[in-house]
Amino acid sequence: MTTTTNSAAGNSGLARAVPGLSVLATMLESARQTLVMLRYRRILWVAPIGLLLLFALAFVLAGTARSRSDGAHLYSVFAWWGLATVVMPWATLFLGVQAVHGELEDRTSQYLFLRPVHRVPLLLGKWLAIAAVSSALACCSAAALYVAVASREDLWPDGREPWLLVSFCIVLGLGATAYSAVAVFLAATFRRPLAWAAFFVVGLQMLAANLPVSAGLRQLTITDPLRRMTLDLIEPSRRLARALWPAERNEALSIENGTGAFLLEFGSPLCSLLILVVVCLTLGCWQYARTEYESRSRD
Amino acid sequence: MSDTPPIVLEFDSVTKWYGSVAALLDVSFQVCTEVVGLVGKNGVGKSTLMKLAVGLLNPSQGAVRVCGSDATTREARARIGFCPDFDRLYEPLSGVKFVAWMLRYHGVAARAATMRAEEVLTELGLAEDMYRPIREYSKGMRQRVRLGQALAHRPQFVLLDEPMTGLDPVARAELADLIRGLPQRGVGVLVSSHVLHELEAVVDRVVLVHQGRLLADGKVEALRDQLPERPHRLRLKGARLRELASQLTNWPEVDGVSFLSDGLEVSLSGHGAFYQRFSDLAGDWQGGIHELIPLDDDLAAVFGYLVE
Repeated sequence: MTTTTNSAAGNSGLARAVPGLSVLATMLESARQTLVMLRYRRILWVAPIGLLLLFALAFVLAGTARSRSDGAHLYSVFAWWGLATVVMPWATLFLGVQAVHGELEDRTSQYLFLRPVHRVPLLLGKWLAIAAVSSALACCSAAALYVAVASREDLWPDGREPWLLVSFCIVLGLGATAYSAVAVFLAATFRRPLAWAAFFVVGLQMLAANLPVSAGLRQLTITDPLRRMTLDLIEPSRRLARALWPAERNEALSIENGTGAFLLEFGSPLCSLLILVVVCLTLGCWQYARTEYESRSRD
Repeated sequence: MSDTPPIVLEFDSVTKWYGSVAALLDVSFQVCTEVVGLVGKNGVGKSTLMKLAVGLLNPSQGAVRVCGSDATTREARARIGFCPDFDRLYEPLSGVKFVAWMLRYHGVAARAATMRAEEVLTELGLAEDMYRPIREYSKGMRQRVRLGQALAHRPQFVLLDEPMTGLDPVARAELADLIRGLPQRGVGVLVSSHVLHELEAVVDRVVLVHQGRLLADGKVEALRDQLPERPHRLRLKGARLRELASQLTNWPEVDGVSFLSDGLEVSLSGHGAFYQRFSDLAGDWQGGIHELIPLDDDLAAVFGYLVE
């Protein structure tokens, strides 16, 4: 340690304090730092292997299923039941919880809390980064799946349908954004956020899936609005609609021709998702921004 | 212009409750541009005090101010440097990147932040290793990174929690020099450590916390003098110990003398007068006085007496 120079902690007496970043700059810096840190997460290094496996699995299944299904049907079923309901939610929740809760657990968040910035943009920046990475991962998975199924030319008698890929990318991107908000809320609020995430995905969403279509609780889930959006975007055949929404045949058939799922009006799936995201982020930020907030005092 | 040193940390009748448990009760003290030691056993409210000082907790009553601002505000946080005792950092990053990242939140541009991080880590003796990932660092190197992030933004108040942990003896001495030099640059320092003799070597005064209360605040010597019921004890080594003992027992400021295997232990009621008188005696003592060691004038002894 060299202590001969005089600038380790300042050389101008009571030096002028360095001002902190603005709200927007803090959010962007937090997002940037979270993105860099996510790069080191093991789950992202496993992702390419997972994508390859997904590709291989879809390729093999597409080969064995050609007598029963066409390409659009097969791809939609894979993308919905594999990606939208299992891979994307869990990968997003896991990434989100790791990014926020990991720092709280090992107390490195204290380094951030002692900086002259607001905590709300710190958390929003993390959410942005998680949403971006999760959406990108989900879209890459959808693309890998599409390439695998599209490579079987005989499954597409009327030609391939790239719009399917675009549709699922939109749905998965929106889903990843919403699940990121849920992850941020759970990670900022609870001591065991992954257990709560499991409750949300397996408990709440499965419970809601068994309620009548008109049940308000469905609006509190992510799967339900996403399914309506998917059906709205891909304009499925009756058979595909039933495959994607087996428990609600009548409803599935009624929205075959589009229900305005993307309209920004109260009660629409897009609006439900937006409300869920806003509520989760508000609650998460409220927790995170409390002065006395730290890992040991939560839950 | 006033010559009064600026107050960088002020606890004003601070009480902190956790439910029905009082962690701190009516604590008041100030830290100017000086080095103040924070001493207390585990679980007496030291951590609560430190969290209050850096604005991670709100006081239940009273006020905590850093450079005049409420400790929980952004203005205060811009002036605080905190070196925590926990050994966690952003492991995949290099030391310089970690410090630069923290500086970015102080509004320092990316390039300037990197340069400042390099500068401060070089000063802290990490020049050769600052670009390696932190996960490859030794405990001492990690401690330097923690110090670096606390000092890089040129704070006016620095709180160091067990800063010597993990450092080798040479690095400890260098860090002690660095800490002692901070007040000359207008920085007030509050250091917490369980290694009392090291703490004593760097602090101007100490703040003793016990069972949530401020037990004492002042220079170690002054605190020791405020304990008249505790006679000062000395160990003496020299020639002709029996004669020396018989002389000392006649002095009014000597309470008692006992023989050790190789010297004498002397209990004093008035140590100031004793030292004056003893210096005359020692100069003339045939055979010489080889050693005179105060046994209970250090911080550890004072702390022990105060908490008993």
